[in-house]
Amino acid sequence: MHRLALALVVLALAGCGRADDERAVSAVTERFLSAVDEGEGEIACAQLTPATAEALEATRPCAEAVTDLDVSPGQVTRAQVYSISAKVDVGAGASYFLELTRAGWRISAAGCTPETRGAPFDCEAEA
Amino acid sequence: MGAVKRNGLALAFGVLFAGTLIAQAFVGLHDFNADQLAHHGDPITLWRYVRSSEFAVDVLENWQSEYLQFTLFILGTVWLIQRGSPESKEPGKEGRESEEEQKIGARAEPESPKWAKVGGLRTFLFSNSLLLVMGTIWLWAWLGQSIAGHVAYNDERFEHQQDALSYFAYLGTPDFWNRTLQNWQSEFLAVGSMAVLAIYLRQRGSPESKPVGAAHASTGVEG
Repeated sequence: MHRLALALVVLALAGCGRADDERAVSAVTERFLSAVDEGEGEIACAQLTPATAEALEATRPCAEAVTDLDVSPGQVTRAQVYSISAKVDVGAGASYFLELTRAGWRISAAGCTPETRGAPFDCEAEA
Repeated sequence: MGAVKRNGLALAFGVLFAGTLIAQAFVGLHDFNADQLAHHGDPITLWRYVRSSEFAVDVLENWQSEYLQFTLFILGTVWLIQRGSPESKEPGKEGRESEEEQKIGARAEPESPKWAKVGGLRTFLFSNSLLLVMGTIWLWAWLGQSIAGHVAYNDERFEHQQDALSYFAYLGTPDFWNRTLQNWQSEFLAVGSMAVLAIYLRQRGSPESKPVGAAHASTGVEG
């Protein structure tokens, strides 16, 4: 009985930690979307992982390229966190994949829409 | 010093377990971080890793199969015979055996555990306690493997920009069953090979072996 109680406490605490992560990934996504919408490229790029920001810099600085992404602002409808990866769904129909980096949660793939069932999403920006 | 000597087997394997679990944590961390680098991710700390689902599933998939092995072996050796094996009862003794043979109830001895003597539910539970505990640990560890495995699996899916699977969908995936079956096959091989090899091979001084001079056909004797 004691072991069952301990297991339930551990699960509850894990649930609390996950709720914090869900809030954090939602906040990063919302910050990214409003920065892109308001043309604040530097702020938007700061929400990306270094590898994703670097991928955007093929022909021009990230801060310029990011504001041209075909992403629409919207309300976060769902945030899922599994270990050090996360996915945030936004009301406009796009999804954002995030990773936990040394600097906190950052977007690794932005403006993603599903392709065929089970296949990787097609993303506007990714590493 | 006397207590250490009397409990040498448990202590030795306890130390081996702790040492290898710690070593697994370090090696697993390096493996995880190598994968992180390959995916342009940041490495994580040891403290983060040992609290991760990746570490938990790697530990629990092995624990559950070990306890399944013991559960099935304990259960199997009640009814199944292997002629010549020290792991088996003698032919003719299949089944739960009599109360006299098992020293239960009125047939218990003065030094028998209390619950062997009292009868009723307590004696029933005590009579089956080894199987019940091993089986319970197996089920909990397997449940833990499935939960941690589900999280680790979806972590990997998100890394590749794929949608997550529900817990119940994960239970039907090759990932879950690959982790489960790769462990089960090795456990069953180990028990089966021990039961058979010990018919013909000996290890002087070990109770897991027949006495060196015992006949190959002698069953249920220990060295």
